[in-house]
Amino acid sequence: MSHVILNPRLAPPFPKAAIPILRNAQLRTNVAHATQVIQNKRAKLVAEKTDWQELRTAAAAIRDHALDNLGSYLEEFETRCTAAGGVVHWAWDAAEARATILNILCEEQASEVIKIKTMTSAEIELNPALEAAGIHAIETDLAELILQLGDDEPSHIVVPALHVNRSQVREIFARRMGLDDLTDNPQALTAAARDYLRRKFLSVPTAISGANFLVAETGSVVIVESEGNGRMCLTLPRTMITLVGIEKVLPRFRDLEVMLQLLARSATGERMSPYTSVWTGVKPGDGPQRFHVVLLDNGRSPMLARTRERQTLRCIRCAACQNVCPVYQQTGGHAYGSVYGGPIGAILTPQLMHMEYAQSLPYASSLCGACYEVCPVKINIPEVLIDLRAKVVDQDRRRASRLTDPMYLGMRAASGAFSSARRYRASQRLARMALRPFTGKDGWIRSLPNLGSRWTMTRDLRGMPDRTFREWWAKRGKAAQ
Amino acid sequence: MSASVSSRTIILERIRIANKVSTVDAYRELPRNYILSGSLDEPARVGLMMERLREYGAEVAECVPEQLGAAIAAQLAFSGRHNFAAPADISPAWLVPGFKWTLDSALATDEIEHQDGVLTSAFAGVADSGTIVLHHSGGEGRRVLSLLPDWHLCILRISRIVETLPEYFHLCSQPPALAPALATFISGPSATADIEMTRIKGVHGPRSLSVILVHDHNQHEAGEIPSPTDTGRRP
Amino acid sequence: MRASLFVTCYNDTLFPETGRAVVRLLERLGVELEFRPEQTCCGQMHANTGFRSEASCQAQRLVQLYRDAEAVVIPSASCVAMIRDQYPAFFEELGNDSLRRDFQALLPRVYELSEFLTDRLDVDDVGAYFPHRVTYHASCHSLRSLQVGDRPFRLLNKVSGLNLIPLDNLETCCGFGGTFSIKNAEVSSAMLAGKVHDVLSTHAEYCAALDNSCLMHIGGALHRQFASPRTIHLAQILASTQDMPAEEVA
Repeated sequence: MSHVILNPRLAPPFPKAAIPILRNAQLRTNVAHATQVIQNKRAKLVAEKTDWQELRTAAAAIRDHALDNLGSYLEEFETRCTAAGGVVHWAWDAAEARATILNILCEEQASEVIKIKTMTSAEIELNPALEAAGIHAIETDLAELILQLGDDEPSHIVVPALHVNRSQVREIFARRMGLDDLTDNPQALTAAARDYLRRKFLSVPTAISGANFLVAETGSVVIVESEGNGRMCLTLPRTMITLVGIEKVLPRFRDLEVMLQLLARSATGERMSPYTSVWTGVKPGDGPQRFHVVLLDNGRSPMLARTRERQTLRCIRCAACQNVCPVYQQTGGHAYGSVYGGPIGAILTPQLMHMEYAQSLPYASSLCGACYEVCPVKINIPEVLIDLRAKVVDQDRRRASRLTDPMYLGMRAASGAFSSARRYRASQRLARMALRPFTGKDGWIRSLPNLGSRWTMTRDLRGMPDRTFREWWAKRGKAAQ
Repeated sequence: MSASVSSRTIILERIRIANKVSTVDAYRELPRNYILSGSLDEPARVGLMMERLREYGAEVAECVPEQLGAAIAAQLAFSGRHNFAAPADISPAWLVPGFKWTLDSALATDEIEHQDGVLTSAFAGVADSGTIVLHHSGGEGRRVLSLLPDWHLCILRISRIVETLPEYFHLCSQPPALAPALATFISGPSATADIEMTRIKGVHGPRSLSVILVHDHNQHEAGEIPSPTDTGRRP
Repeated sequence: MRASLFVTCYNDTLFPETGRAVVRLLERLGVELEFRPEQTCCGQMHANTGFRSEASCQAQRLVQLYRDAEAVVIPSASCVAMIRDQYPAFFEELGNDSLRRDFQALLPRVYELSEFLTDRLDVDDVGAYFPHRVTYHASCHSLRSLQVGDRPFRLLNKVSGLNLIPLDNLETCCGFGGTFSIKNAEVSSAMLAGKVHDVLSTHAEYCAALDNSCLMHIGGALHRQFASPRTIHLAQILASTQDMPAEEVA
């Protein structure tokens, strides 16, 4: 599984990465099953919520307001968190965030660190940096543990090991935990993970987490989780480090009344996740006595400057768009070459990469719009995808390679054809002539060369009829006169 | 540290350039047309709370204040456990005889880990999602206390049960409660669905949750929940 | 009632029978239909592939061409979605106030065919006769952007002789997605396989939709597999009568 590359700088383009996955029947079955189960649960709980659309509207407005005033709210958070005994760090990019965290761990003389599932830490590739510094990171979320022990990478934002099935988990746990007689019963597998991690929770003095939300008004951090590994990590250690994207801030405590109603229903199809924890700085006698927050930019603030794309930052990482996406359902997350897969990853990743990498991702969508429909904060993902495609094409326009790109040339030629009815009619005649040699006696085309072969590899194409509609109409007009 | 200071400046400057004008004052005008207050009367609200808790696999019992001691004793006995922890600030009447009680103010983690169960009170309950909220003061105990023991018995007064989540947040906007520095929202026992989306109860948090709902309508000490002043859309 | 037909570039070129069916249907319902031969394309293919400025030029052409039209009927949900979802930003960015006003005035007069029939003409029963087993594929744009809702079902239910068979996973994309079907041909084909499976499970003779683009995709796979169901645009079913059955192109 180590062939999976989630670094957008190194990953192959989406269409290429998808091919081996499409051949992996087991993975596709696992992904299809899991996304179907979550979708069904979500649909049931959303249906019982009579004010779902009003909640979405409120959530979008709250998130937009927070982004519109991001600087004020981050400073307010910093002031309150600091007053409560926390230490706030700011990191411009992934390297600075890693260095900040490593510095803290050095001061703590940490050799091990327990981690709550955080996609942000995967985004900055924290674990390899920790290992290089001789610090062993222990993932405590069950899915993350499966991936860590299986030397695999996350394929989903909420259920990162959803591409792995029970027998695969059994094999990984049996091998890595030395449990030869382990069965593939999920109950037994979960119990094995509990035993494996219990000692670590009670002994490792340093923890790293992400955060679902920051609250500016109170300086609080909010984590939503199911297993209790989060509570363990943010209660038992001496020192806690929270790594969080700057966009995660909410103005007021009460804004959680909207977000918490939407998040679990969208993410896991539950009314509330089993545990939601809120903490504020340090409380003497209760929980970690040293608390650090690392506020990560890493490409986020430039996104704010772009009118349509900035809505990407509303995201609360529920992954509902992944579950509903017909493309993600075929490929799972690994094909996206980023820790953020699916529709949200297709718009987030290239932007975090300053549009220098992952240019194939905005095209990894049929624009069916199912993602927008389920998004709890109403991110119009198709709109952003189309905008990002325009950015990719604008890059192409400056490249010499465009002159050998059949898609580029075809689109330019079509644009010329559509610019006048005369040229358009001429193009229609030309197309009819060009297609004739490929058209069979029954009027169908089974094989086309070049770009056309991408269509005919699985689909026939009905040949061009002898008469266009406009030719028919013109003739009909004459006949009537 | 100097690098960090300059990153702070850079980030805030980039944000300032992107956003141009402050609209912080517009917060009050944000659309909140979702349901703020519930519509159920108290018996229905309590019924919903019980139904939701049971859906999570939690044990639920009810009693009147006079019978609380007996109800606690019954739950403890039913659990088949003997050693229990409780916050030092808990009502002494709840520490029913016949069991070994260890009171926590600053117990070592190991001592808590070795308890069979824990008894705490709760700040509030949210019926809509069957959620119990602890603010971790007084009888609600430190966070670690309701985390390590495998069995959690929680006492929830029905005057503290609200129907909707917004009603809980309204409660937190009314003195003296205000926004808590610490809060844990518990919606059923710990669980995971990470393996083939099969829900497995009990991972790292307490594997069993029991709740006693106390019918305390006429208790002065309970303090009735002020009704929300906001007017929300009703279902 | 007068209306102008924007047949769309791919219907004009590849599916003229759909355009002819719209003419026959609307004239039967008493609509005075015109066709402006200057029309070409709405710009959807360019916009969705990232050729924004090219798409914007086509948008301007379309608005200039139809600004005085009483109503514009389009037998393609995705082209209507293009006009409703993407044109506003184009004309906002263009900075040509008079053109923007023309667009805003035109927008409410742009109809997808099933909308035109049920909303503007206020008719569910168009007097059609089509004695076949038919399943209906809801194209993504008709479903989510236009939100045509039950309009196509209301129309189909009133077609005499027609046996409508529900399609499983109605809300799942067929995998066409314009140039997506080329750029991501493998994933697109995998999505299509699921849709074809659902269509075949209905044992319908025809798979109908409001978009020939989806039907070209689904029909292409059905033909490749020698499968019997044929694809047909809703207009052709509605145009069909006892005296004059639907034109069928083999």
